[in-house]
Formats: sequence, structure tokens, C-alpha cells
Amino acid sequence: MKNVVLDIKGYSKTYGGDKKAADNINLTVESGDIYGFIGHNGAGKSTTIRAIVGVLDFNEGEILIDGHSVKNEPLECKKLTAYIPDNPDLYENLTGIQYLNFIADVFEIDVEKRQSLIQKYADMFEITDALGDLISSYSHGMKQKVAIISALIHEPKLMVLDEPFVGLDPKASFTLKQIMHEMCENGSAVFFSTHVLDVAEKLCNKIAIIKKGKIITTGTMEELTQGQSLESVFLEVEDEK
Amino acid sequence: MRSKNLVLIKTLLKATSLWNIRKYSKDKKKRGRAIASFIGISCLEIMLFVYSFSTCMGLHAAGVIETVPIACALCVSAIAFVFTFLKTNGYLLNFKEYDMLMALPFKVKDIAICKFLYMYIKSFPWYMGFLLPMMIGYGIFSKSSFWVYPLWLILGLFVPIIPMVIAAFVGFLIAKASAGFKKKNVIQIVLTLIFVMICFSFQYIIEAIFKNDQVTAVALKASELTDMISTYYLPAEWFAKAITMVGQGNVLGLLYGAILVVITIALFEIIFILVGKNYRQINSALQSHDVKRNYKIAGLKKRSVLNTIAYKELKRLTGSTTYFVNVALGEIFAVVGGIAVLILGLDKVVGVVTKGAPIPHGIVYPAIPLMVYFFIGMMATTVCSPSLEGKNYWIMQSLPLEKKTIYQGKMLFNLYLTVPFMIFGVLCFSISAHLPALNMILNLILGLVLCAFSTAWGCVCGIRHMRLDWENEVEVIKQGSAVSIYLLPNMLVTMGLIVLVVWLGTIVNPNLITLVLIMVVAILAVLSYLKVLKLTKK
Repeated sequence: MKNVVLDIKGYSKTYGGDKKAADNINLTVESGDIYGFIGHNGAGKSTTIRAIVGVLDFNEGEILIDGHSVKNEPLECKKLTAYIPDNPDLYENLTGIQYLNFIADVFEIDVEKRQSLIQKYADMFEITDALGDLISSYSHGMKQKVAIISALIHEPKLMVLDEPFVGLDPKASFTLKQIMHEMCENGSAVFFSTHVLDVAEKLCNKIAIIKKGKIITTGTMEELTQGQSLESVFLEVEDEK
Repeated sequence: MRSKNLVLIKTLLKATSLWNIRKYSKDKKKRGRAIASFIGISCLEIMLFVYSFSTCMGLHAAGVIETVPIACALCVSAIAFVFTFLKTNGYLLNFKEYDMLMALPFKVKDIAICKFLYMYIKSFPWYMGFLLPMMIGYGIFSKSSFWVYPLWLILGLFVPIIPMVIAAFVGFLIAKASAGFKKKNVIQIVLTLIFVMICFSFQYIIEAIFKNDQVTAVALKASELTDMISTYYLPAEWFAKAITMVGQGNVLGLLYGAILVVITIALFEIIFILVGKNYRQINSALQSHDVKRNYKIAGLKKRSVLNTIAYKELKRLTGSTTYFVNVALGEIFAVVGGIAVLILGLDKVVGVVTKGAPIPHGIVYPAIPLMVYFFIGMMATTVCSPSLEGKNYWIMQSLPLEKKTIYQGKMLFNLYLTVPFMIFGVLCFSISAHLPALNMILNLILGLVLCAFSTAWGCVCGIRHMRLDWENEVEVIKQGSAVSIYLLPNMLVTMGLIVLVVWLGTIVNPNLITLVLIMVVAILAVLSYLKVLKLTKK
């Protein structure tokens, strides 16, 4: 039986007193799921993601990660989660390895394990040689790779990514997809937002479409597409509701 | 302190350390800049050390060496308060890597504490610039017991904490109050300015209270003033009593030291429990923006290229509380000062500033433009603006504009900002002083060329010391080498010029002095402008 890794119940976020950026959102992500979260710019994807990872305060509802409440047990939730923002702000004057070591220290990963995991993922993303350089000298894609490695080294139960494929080269995108599959095979779950519907269609087993802060449709890929492409389904439901 | 928190503080320090840049950067220029910054900071530290020790010598010569501990505690506290207050928004709240840190398994309160302690450690070398030389000076001149030295060092660690905690809390309250508004940035700027004005008026408020009570009818001596303030600010008094009593061999002095330590720790804990509870909510509110989503494209105006750049600069200025407070404070002081002299009269205001010293007020009239410049010209937007482009630098670089035009636009904005305030200030001061029309016109011309000079010279400093890879805009606005190189000599030269003009005014026709100054400053302004043009060709 699958575990519920992320459970969002009636989550709402209001800005400026009356404007709802997220309106009564309900979602369930189970272990083994690669869950795609799609919607227009400004639909409420990042607002929802930032609330899931405990960065953003929210007004109504409950978000549970592996049964722990984000509001009441934030520390337990964060230990289980990895978050990669759309534009990762890393410490520019640290070297890549100094940054990864900092994250490993925070998650209290022992030295041998951190060394082997950093080696494994840095080799996969072909960034090992650059880890001794300052992050300020990295390209956007290289920073993204460091952020992804930092998210993987504590073997999270839930990985939350905001537009993870932006800036990654084709090989790194392929590697990331491979890693997502591996994680899910090992019982973790991935929840990510994207605008690239082709990627979502090939990668995800579940999809939620958000519009103006409301989930307008959700389900497994098969239920949603029923033989059509995800793009045409997305455009159809966007126009309808 | 938990080990994870120590890791965070260590990482924060490493992430902004010049040593890390020097060690790991492959960019020679960047490594050179790191070394130059280190040398610059060391020179300033040495100057501070010499200044503090000389102050001790001066107080010893005046026979008031016993006031050194309290003067030291007040200096450190004042600097700690101002540094922290102006850095709270950007370091403690609303910082760049907020998302990354908040997603890591840290308690919210611990993140706030680590950020605070990071600020404390980064600023501590400046506090040491007062604490160490004054400790040595006091120890030598007062011939105190050996135990004064370790006690001074230990209590010195605690002296800056209370003002820092209070400043952080005030900054936090301002952020909390503004977070509830749609125009939170404007509210934050207004509240910050009100608070800064109150702080600047504090000294005069205390003096007024004492004068009303007729405690003192004469001009106050520095030592009396420090005593007065310490009665309002008890931590400084506890520090001073601990030091002086232990210095005289009275062990009871340790009790005052213990009070300082206990109160500091208690206040720190209480404040950070409150901050921790609201930290995420306030940061969430500060990072969210009100949206209308009902815009209709209409009424767009065409501007010239220079005005477009100037307008962009205006938006950058009003979009950041730290930038606005640092740059526009002088302009606001010029308005307040101008209104004050119109209502109260220049003579009375000069009397307040000089604490009733027996100076014939008429002799300061030739220095009016320099006095207004002292408000307005100490900071120019052109000093920070090149560096503030930061990661957005590509926007200007990729536009079909000559570099020269970009900086001309930036200079134009600084003129738009400073000239009206300069005219207002000079007119108010001159009207209040009942100056003849000719003097008034000459003062206005001098004011205008001073604005032109500060704009162009600021731009030279800004371009030559441009730094785009900052983590936090505070690094550019408050701590950038461009700011130090522009501000310190500018301040010293202006002060020196005020004294010189006042003195010369007693022996030469003041209009002649103003004419000479107009010519000299105009030449300097033109030379600076030509230097800007040269720098933009590189």
C-alpha cells in the first residue's frame, strides 16, 4: 500500500486582505508519485509550493508531509523535504563544495555518506571539477545543478521543485528525470511545477492544473488525457473554466 | 547554542568574507578588490583606534578621565544602534536567501538569531575600534587595577548587544506595521524616517528637559552631557560603574557587570521569542506584492532617453527602504532645517547647534550654502547607483545606448533630486538671515555648483569602485568602498571649508569668498564630469 507523502487540505492564501492567490486547494501525493503542477504564470503554483516547504505563511487549511503538519511541526517536515526554487539564491561567495558541505552539516549527514553522495551526483551532473570554484563564477545552469545536488544529498522523502528544468542543459535534464524515477522507485515522491507540458506528460503519473488559485482538474495522467495530448487537455480546461 | 546554528553562522560569515573571495576566486580583479577592501578597512580601523586613544588623552588632559568608560559605552551603543537599525531590513528581514534558509530544518527563531549574531560578529571589529583603545587609555591614565582589563573586555562583548537588539526590534516593528499595508514600502520608509528624526532630535530633547528644569543654565560640557544620557541609558552606566569600581578595588562593581550581562541575555531571549513568533508572517508579507490585475494600456508618455534613465533611478530609489533612507535623509534634513530656521530664526538654530557658545551669529552667514550642502551632498545617488545595477546590469549593457548616456541619465537624476532641496534650503537660510539679494544669488549659485560637483564626483567614485556581485544591497549602500571614498573626504573637507569660510568672512568680504568658492567648485565639477566621460570610454 502506498503512503501519503504530501496531503494538502483546503489550503488558501490571501494577499492584501481579499485577493486569494490560492483558494481551497486539495491535493494528495503518494510515495512513488511524480506529480506535475501546471498552470499559467501567476496562477498560484509558486505560492502553493512555497507554502508546502514552509517558506510562506498561509491563512487557511492544513498541509501535511508524511503525516506531520507544516504549521505545527515545521522542523520534522523540513527534514523530510527538499526544495529547489525556480531561481536558486545560493551563497555566491562560497565554493560549490562549501555550499554542499553546509547543507550536509545542516542535515547532519555523516562524512563518508556525504562524500559518496556528492561524488555520485556531481559526477552525474558533470560538475565535479567546478565544485572548488566560487558559485559567483557559475552559470545559471551550474547553480541549478548545485541546488539539485544539495536537495538530493539528504535523501528526501518528498522533493518539491519549482520549474526545475529551466536553465538545465539537455543532458542534465535527462539526468534529473532519471533521478526522479529512481527516487520514486525507492518510495519517495516528487512534486514539481512546470510549463513544459511535453516533459510533464512523459514524466508524471499524476497532474493538477491550477487557474487563478483554484485547482480546476486533477488526476492520473491516463484519466486526464484519455488518448489526447496533455497540451490539448490543458488548453481545453483553461478555456472552459 | 546548537551545532547547526553554529554551522549557519559560520557559513554566513564565510559567504561574505573577503578571505574566501581572495582564496577561491579565479578572477584577478576580484581578488585584488578583496585585498584592497581589506587594506581599506584596516586603515579605517587604525584611524578609529588613534581617534579613540586621542580622545582618552584629551579627557585625561582635561582632568575627566573617569568619564572614559561611560563615553566608550555610549559610543559603542550609539554606533551599534545606528548600524543595526539601518541594516535590519535586508539582513534580518527580507533577505535574498530567505527561501533557501527557511526550507532547511532550522527553527524560525534560530534563523533570526543566527542572522542577528552574524550582524553582531561582522560589526564587532568596529566596536573594538572604540573598546580596545579606550580600555588601554583608561587603564594607563587612571592607573586602575589589572582586573579592569579582563572585565572591560568581557563586558565589552555585551555592551553592543542591548542597542542592537532594540534597533532590530524597532526595525522589526516598523516592518510589522508596514506589512499590513498595500504600499508597505512607502509606509516603511516614512516610519523609518520618523524614527531617525526622533533619534537625531534626542540629544536636543534631553538638553531641553534639563534646561527647563534649570539644572544647568550654561552651555553643557561634554562630560555633563554623557552623564545625562547615561542616566537615561542604564546599560552604559552599569558598564561604567563596574569598570570604575573594580578599578578602585571595589569588588561590588562586579554586581553592576552581572546586571549588564543578565539583563542583556534576558532582553535578547524575550525579543527573539517575539521575533521568532512573527518572523515568517512578516517576511511572507514583505515578499508579497499587491496586485490589481486590471490594467488597461492607455496614457503612455514618451520621455527622452536621459529622462527615462533618470525615471528608472527614481523607481530604484523609492523601491528600497535602505537606499531611500541613506540617500534622501539629507534632503529631508534640509527641508526640516529650512523650515526650522524660517520659524525660529537662523540665529536661534545656530545657538542650539553650537550649544549657546558665544559666537556672533552673523559670521556663519557666508557658510550657508556649505551648511545646506552638509545635509544634501554627503550622499549622492550616483555613488551607489552603478553598483546597485547588480545582476540587472545586463539590461543597460544590452540597450543601444552609449555608456556615457547611461551615466548622464544617472547624474541627471541626482541633480533632479538635490537641486530643488538645495534651492529651498539656501533660500530659507538666506531669508532668515536677512541677506541682501546679491549675497542670496551668489549663495544659490554656489549651492548649484556644489550639487553639480557632488553628482559628478559621486559618479566618478561609483564607476571606479563599482561592485556588481553583492549578496545584499546594504553591502553597496552602507559598506561599499565607493561610499567610503566619497563620503569621508567629502564630510571632512566640507567641515573644514565651513570653518575656513567663517574665519575668512571676518577679514574679507563674504561675497568675494563665495565667488572664489563658486569658481573652485565649478572647476572641480567640470573636471569630475570630464573624468566620468573618460571612465565611460573604457
